[in-house]
Parts: sequence; structure tokens; C-alpha cells
Amino acid sequence: MSSALNLAHEPVTKIPMGKLAMWAFLASELMFFTGFFGAFIVLRNSNYTVFGEGSHHLNVAMALTNTFILIGSSLTMALSILNLEKGNVKNFRLFLGLTILGGFGFLIVKYFEYSGKWHDGLFPGQEHHTLFFSFYFLMTGFHALHVIGGVIPMIFMWLKSFTKSGYNHPVKVETLGLYWHFVDLMWIFIFPALYLMIPYHAAAGAAVHH
Amino acid sequence: MGHDHGNVIKSYMQVFYALAVLTLLTVGAAMLPFPHEWGTPGDILHVSIGVAIAVVKVIAVMWVFMHLKFDHPMLRFFVYVPVFLFSVMTFALNFLESWAYTR
Repeated sequence: MSSALNLAHEPVTKIPMGKLAMWAFLASELMFFTGFFGAFIVLRNSNYTVFGEGSHHLNVAMALTNTFILIGSSLTMALSILNLEKGNVKNFRLFLGLTILGGFGFLIVKYFEYSGKWHDGLFPGQEHHTLFFSFYFLMTGFHALHVIGGVIPMIFMWLKSFTKSGYNHPVKVETLGLYWHFVDLMWIFIFPALYLMIPYHAAAGAAVHH
Repeated sequence: MGHDHGNVIKSYMQVFYALAVLTLLTVGAAMLPFPHEWGTPGDILHVSIGVAIAVVKVIAVMWVFMHLKFDHPMLRFFVYVPVFLFSVMTFALNFLESWAYTR
């Protein structure tokens, strides 16, 4: 069975196909989040009082903690790739394990943040829910799903490294790393957009708003 | 691969410290006691500072953590396009919309 087409070749650029595919996927992910940010910008500008009050209500300390957890886990992810490339399996396990812990830490903080919002009746359908909180749950919720989606293959790779055959696919870890850094990137935008960009001087008092 | 590992770790650490400092800076800047009522130049400044710091952080992550610095120029081009579209769309929306509502 011969075919005139040979579709199995590597691209001329020698960029690994998985890596290129991940960048293409991330480009589509960027457009997915752009939809949220676009709608957020439009509706913030037309409902700035609602968005200001909602934003003022959020827990900046928890979000700041999560920001540090994410940038820390980005660093450990990058170091785990480097160690697997070097063949240092012990350090690869250590740093990937720390990255997984970071992912779980992020989700635990998120759980406490969300339960606070539930307690204050801010969930959709609850009495104090506003348009702002629709965005809050949509953007942070999809972001948290991305964190879960990153942690699952990490756990697989980490456990696989303990088996007899081990885990020796640095390019795959690098590809997953790209995804993980992207999750960090989106948080870098979500954090100031939702938590910090309050359209009035909060210290001067939120309630005085016309 | 190919490059000196010691130097790579050094640049990873530099990016990590830069991200930490810029995170604190963005929170600090958001708490600066200047009036930023919606639609005033203060609000535009307030938002612009936040966006500018986020952009610096994102470039640092993509350039070093996501290895664009070490990657093929073709791949870099492949990344610039969606990032450009994202920036144009968000900036255009932000300015057109706030202009439309403050008019």
C-alpha cells in the first residue's frame, strides 16, 4: 500500500510537532479567553458601579496568595523540564511534585474563596448575585478548570517516573509546561482585571457612588 | 538543550523574582491614593498601570519560561500573531467602549 503523500515527516523547521500543536492550541485558548475579556471590558464600562462594588468585595489577599503559588509552580515546572533533559530523574520528580502541590494549593485557596462567596450569597441564583459575579465565576472558574486539566497529566507523568520503565519524554513535559505557563499567563491578566481595577478610589468609600 | 544549564537556571530565577516584585507592584499601584472615578483620566491611568505591568510579566514568562528566547524564529512568529490579535481586540474595545460611554 503506497501513497503519494508522506504525511509522517517532521516540519522543515525541526520544531517538534507536539510543541507546535500546543502553541496552536494555546492560540485558540487565547481567543477563548479574549471572548471573556472582551465582554468584561464592554460590560465593565456600561455597568461600572456594579463592577466596582463587586470588585471591591473580592478577597485580594487570597488572590495574591494564589498568584504567588502559580508563579512558583511555573518556576518549578521549568526546573523539572530542565532536570529531565539533564537526566536527573530525582530532581525531575521533586520539581514536578512541587508543581503538582502548587496546583492543588491553588485549588484549595480557590475553594475557600468560593465558599466565602457562597456564604455571602454571591453565587448565580443567590440574593446578592450581580453581573460582576457572573464574570468572576466564569473567568476564575474556567481558569480553575484549566488548572485541574494541567495537574492530571502531571500526576500521570510523576507516577510513571516511579515505574520500572520510568518516564523519559522531556519534549512531552516541555509541551505540558507550555500549557502550564499559559494558565499562569491568563491568571496574570485575570488577577488585576477582576480584583484590582476598581473604577473608583476604594479607600474614599465605595458606598458614596452615584 | 545545547545552552549552559547554569545560565538557564539563573534566568529562570531572575524571571521568578521579577514576577514576584511586579505582582507586589501591581497590588501597590492599585492601592495608590489617587482618585480614579470611572471615565476620568485617573481611571485610565489606574487601568493602564495594571495592564502595563501584566504585559511586562507576560512577556517575561513567554520569553524565558516558555522558551521563546531559545526557540526557532518561526515559532516566535507563530506566537506573535494571536498575541497581537488579543492585544488589538482588548485595547480597541477598552478605548472605543469607554469613549462611547463617556461621550
